[in-house]
Amino acid sequence: MGRSAVMAPVPSKLYSDDVSLLVVLLDTNPFFWSTASLPFSKFLSHVLAFLNSILLINQLNQVVVIATGCNSCNFIFDSSSVPANPNLENGRMPALCSNLLQKLEEFVTGDEKLSKEVLAAGIGSSLLSGSLSMALCYIQRVFRTGPLHPQPRILCLQGSPDGPEQYVAVMNAIFSAQRSMVPIDSCVIGAQHSAFLQQASYITGGVYLKPQQLDGLFQYLSTVFATDLHSRRFLQLPKPAGVDFRASCFCHKNTIDMGYICSVCLSIFCKHHKKCSTCGSVFGQAQSDGNSATDRKRKTPET
Amino acid sequence: MPQVKIIAKNFMDMVASLPAMKLDALYHNTFICEAILRSLPPLAKKYILQMLYIDVPVTAKAMEEWVLADGFSKHRVAIDRLIQLRVFTETSDRKKETSYRLNPTFQTNLQKHLIYGGVLPREPMPSNITVRLPSLDDLEAYALGQWECFLLQLISSTQTEKLTNFSSSMMKVFQRGLLTQREKEAPRLTESGFQFLLMDTNAQLWYIMREYISNSEERGVDPADLISFLLELSFHVTGEAYNINTLTEFQRNTIKDLVDLGLVKLQQGRKESWFIPTKLATNLSMSLSDTSSRKQVVHKTNYLMHSSTAHVLSNHYIA
Repeated sequence: MGRSAVMAPVPSKLYSDDVSLLVVLLDTNPFFWSTASLPFSKFLSHVLAFLNSILLINQLNQVVVIATGCNSCNFIFDSSSVPANPNLENGRMPALCSNLLQKLEEFVTGDEKLSKEVLAAGIGSSLLSGSLSMALCYIQRVFRTGPLHPQPRILCLQGSPDGPEQYVAVMNAIFSAQRSMVPIDSCVIGAQHSAFLQQASYITGGVYLKPQQLDGLFQYLSTVFATDLHSRRFLQLPKPAGVDFRASCFCHKNTIDMGYICSVCLSIFCKHHKKCSTCGSVFGQAQSDGNSATDRKRKTPET
Repeated sequence: MPQVKIIAKNFMDMVASLPAMKLDALYHNTFICEAILRSLPPLAKKYILQMLYIDVPVTAKAMEEWVLADGFSKHRVAIDRLIQLRVFTETSDRKKETSYRLNPTFQTNLQKHLIYGGVLPREPMPSNITVRLPSLDDLEAYALGQWECFLLQLISSTQTEKLTNFSSSMMKVFQRGLLTQREKEAPRLTESGFQFLLMDTNAQLWYIMREYISNSEERGVDPADLISFLLELSFHVTGEAYNINTLTEFQRNTIKDLVDLGLVKLQQGRKESWFIPTKLATNLSMSLSDTSSRKQVVHKTNYLMHSSTAHVLSNHYIA
């Protein structure tokens, strides 16, 4: 979707505190959905109603949807783009439904084709890092339209497990979001928690939630995730009990909780290497096996 | 000074003061529900969304558990507003515990709106009939021109120039509070009148609308019908032509008044005639929302208005 519809300038007095830009990252991984407890079509009906409710509560709200596939990501909906049929109110049902669903279908078909050609390294995971990056680029463009713009936030609707090979890319996106002050909300609909998203929401000040009853998904979305950023100062939103801060090693992309760290660039390794693959610093000799774990961590490179 | 907020809020106060049955009847119209929803403070909007699919009353205590210490005043304002507009109904049980639930009419219609979207009672006319439709720029110029004419007549002390079709009694209603109306004395601009002239167009429009609606019963018009029509009008598409024959007689009479305020433009084809909503009309629902006080962006028209009224004033008021 190459369009960039700049919103017509609105007099500042009409701009209320709750004007929001919501970028939704929708997990479309067919491997996940084929085994999910909630059917994809039911999931979509909850999400579409939720998206419409965001557009309902403020005329200036904007919703963008990015599909996160196995091998690709793409925009499938933007409420600010000029509608083909001016009879239907901009971006609203049923135009919202038909536009989004059509683009979604095209996307899923295209993504599936890529699966046959490319041997997906992380079967089972979806390209979260890709869609996060696309969302942040879109938001940057919005920031540059001028001082008056909706307050952006990202909502990840994720079911696929984390792909450890995406660790570095996801963390980079998270820090970028943190610097731009864009909260990342996470709504995990898969069977397991997502360490990536726990960290994302924790670091950026978003909300992380794994709903217990998926057939009530709309209720979770409307009660928690519909809250605009201004109102969050006044409300008690769910906080996770603990955050899984485990990293992935840079050499094998495995999740580890104990490892070696380069003291120059802080790259993480699961076993001893002669030199750092990221910055090239040479490490000292490995200690014998009798040493404690803390000693191993204190290894410093010799330049 | 957050003028739009005060004026628009007063309009919603007026809506809230309608008798219960009339207000409930308003909520049968999904566009009214949407307009009311958009006019509420952010917390109230959120409460509506989260109560939308809940059929049982929720205790006030349960709702307060979500609120942080900082937010209690905002929470109370939101709840009070919801109750005032009869969107929330309040019940007390035997233990004197207060509970809230959504007004059932409002709830059903908003649910439908959410799933199916809203359908306006009229469709734009096909373009092969509406051949001389003005461009959006021309339409905006027309709207502001009409509005300026109206303002000129409003503050004019002499009734010799009849710039609009409003009756002189209607103009007197609008002028109440803005111009002194003393016998044997030429009308003069009051303090409120000066403030009015400095407000931006949207705020002025809401002020006039409020007067127009408050006066409607004296003219034999049901204020609820009028409010309903105005809010519905704000959801039409700017620049599109809608057939006059889709309007009731009362709505047709109202449209004539709205032409004088620049809210719609009337045009006639070979067989059909139609009305075209301008930006002034479609902005009505947008400016309804509770805005925070920000630096006022004074509309360009006001400067023109100010200079032209200064000219008029100098002719009439300077001793």
